[in-house]
Amino acid sequence: MKARMQNSSSSAALLKQEFLKKWINGLQTYTNTKKEMTILDRKNAIKLSADIAIASTRNFSTNWSRAVMADVSKNVDGSSKIVTEKILGRKETCIIKCSKNIMRKSRLLAHRRRAIRRTIGRTSVKAASAIAKELVKKRTRVLKRLVPGGKQMNEICLIKETLDYIASLQVQVDVMRNIANAADHQCLDSTERSLL
Amino acid sequence: MGFGFDEIHGRPETDSSSFTALLELPPPQAVELLIKEDFPAKPMPPPIFPSNIALIDRASKFSIYASPDNSPDSTAILPASSSMKLDLVKQEPLESDSHPNSSSPAVSNQSSKSGKRKEREKKAKESNKKSQKVAANEASELSGEKLPYVHVRARRGQATDSHSLAERARREKINARMKLLQELVPGCNKISGTAMVLDEIINHVQALQRQVEFLSMRLAAVNPRIDFNLDAVFAAESGSSIDNSYLGMFDPSIWPEGQINGSRQNLYQQPLHFDGLHQPSWGREDDTSNFISPEDSLLSYDSPPNSAENGAVKRRARVSQVARFVYTGYN
Repeated sequence: MKARMQNSSSSAALLKQEFLKKWINGLQTYTNTKKEMTILDRKNAIKLSADIAIASTRNFSTNWSRAVMADVSKNVDGSSKIVTEKILGRKETCIIKCSKNIMRKSRLLAHRRRAIRRTIGRTSVKAASAIAKELVKKRTRVLKRLVPGGKQMNEICLIKETLDYIASLQVQVDVMRNIANAADHQCLDSTERSLL
Repeated sequence: MGFGFDEIHGRPETDSSSFTALLELPPPQAVELLIKEDFPAKPMPPPIFPSNIALIDRASKFSIYASPDNSPDSTAILPASSSMKLDLVKQEPLESDSHPNSSSPAVSNQSSKSGKRKEREKKAKESNKKSQKVAANEASELSGEKLPYVHVRARRGQATDSHSLAERARREKINARMKLLQELVPGCNKISGTAMVLDEIINHVQALQRQVEFLSMRLAAVNPRIDFNLDAVFAAESGSSIDNSYLGMFDPSIWPEGQINGSRQNLYQQPLHFDGLHQPSWGREDDTSNFISPEDSLLSYDSPPNSAENGAVKRRARVSQVARFVYTGYN
């Protein structure tokens, strides 16, 4: 049991390191911008780099990571392209273009599927099981909206992807919080020193 | 004899390389395995149990959805069926039924006629109703990922047409994955009912996404420069050990500020916490209180080596002066 926990912590640590490295790489693209960035700009840059970094730690084997990259490349923003290239390298930007096409095609299919389903009439059964099913369906729809790329997945894939997505989000949050705390400590320390 | 796809529960799975084992592992290990290996990219090879290969052969032939194209399927079914508990096969009441059938195909070569096969399948379906064994969910899951056909046994007194069987297999897949999710999200273990569990999952995902937003805002507020505080962090941190392997990743020329004493290792030795619900409240408090304090720290931030940033720094310094004034007013 203990050995397993150690294993998990080491693999988690590896993941965190990988994420941090990619994130820092992406942030370094902003060092050379001469223009002044507002706080919102900085926040968006930080968040963008973090999202790209965490998606790339999955090596695009999961649907949600591909969806994240497709969304990112949709914004025709020069800086995002630079960040992507910095983090991933030239070769993998082609992967992103492919994933964009895949997303587009599957979105069209999903539209068609939904249209067909709507034409089938709805039954108004008030059984308890039907109500429960309705609730579950509502929640599934919400979850599909939350998980990136969830709209085009069936239920089984959705749950798989949610699992992976939650774990990756946790990694992201942990690393960001650690850095933020370290930065705050450092800043507070230096203010104390300056006050004395 | 041949119906080897039996229920597995109660079988302690120690080898962690199979997907079925994944479902039985306690939560942190399961997720750790998921993270470690590219989930679910690779189909994992199932463990080969020391079981009777002849039984497996016969079992494969009696599979419900086996196609007339015999040989490739039977070899493909082999890995799936090998993970079944074949000692349960002997308890099968169907043994006697299928013996007269099984003797001929088992002995003869594998390329049996499709007509005979269908007859056997029909018998299999009928005898399913009498079966007292639970459907082999795990087998269907495992085989569902590798094989074109799902091998499920119908439960006692339930319909055996292919539609409901397929639907049951699908439902069981979903339920198994939901269990994993339940173990991942804290506080979901005690909740029963899919709708409530989904509620919790949605809340958790939303909370995590919100945390990312807050943290990125917090980091943006802390420093004027975007490649922010690493150099300062490492310079100021008085850790005992230097994580050389980690620091080696970065080009040391990035940090012109002399010695790097920081130890990344300290920060990363915590195991992957899935108690995100406990931490957010703490984290959020920090956010609200720190929105003001980090800004006054900008005053004390040493002038960055990059002179091009000076304009930005001066502007931030002015902002932080105001902020500090306000902050001291609060105290």
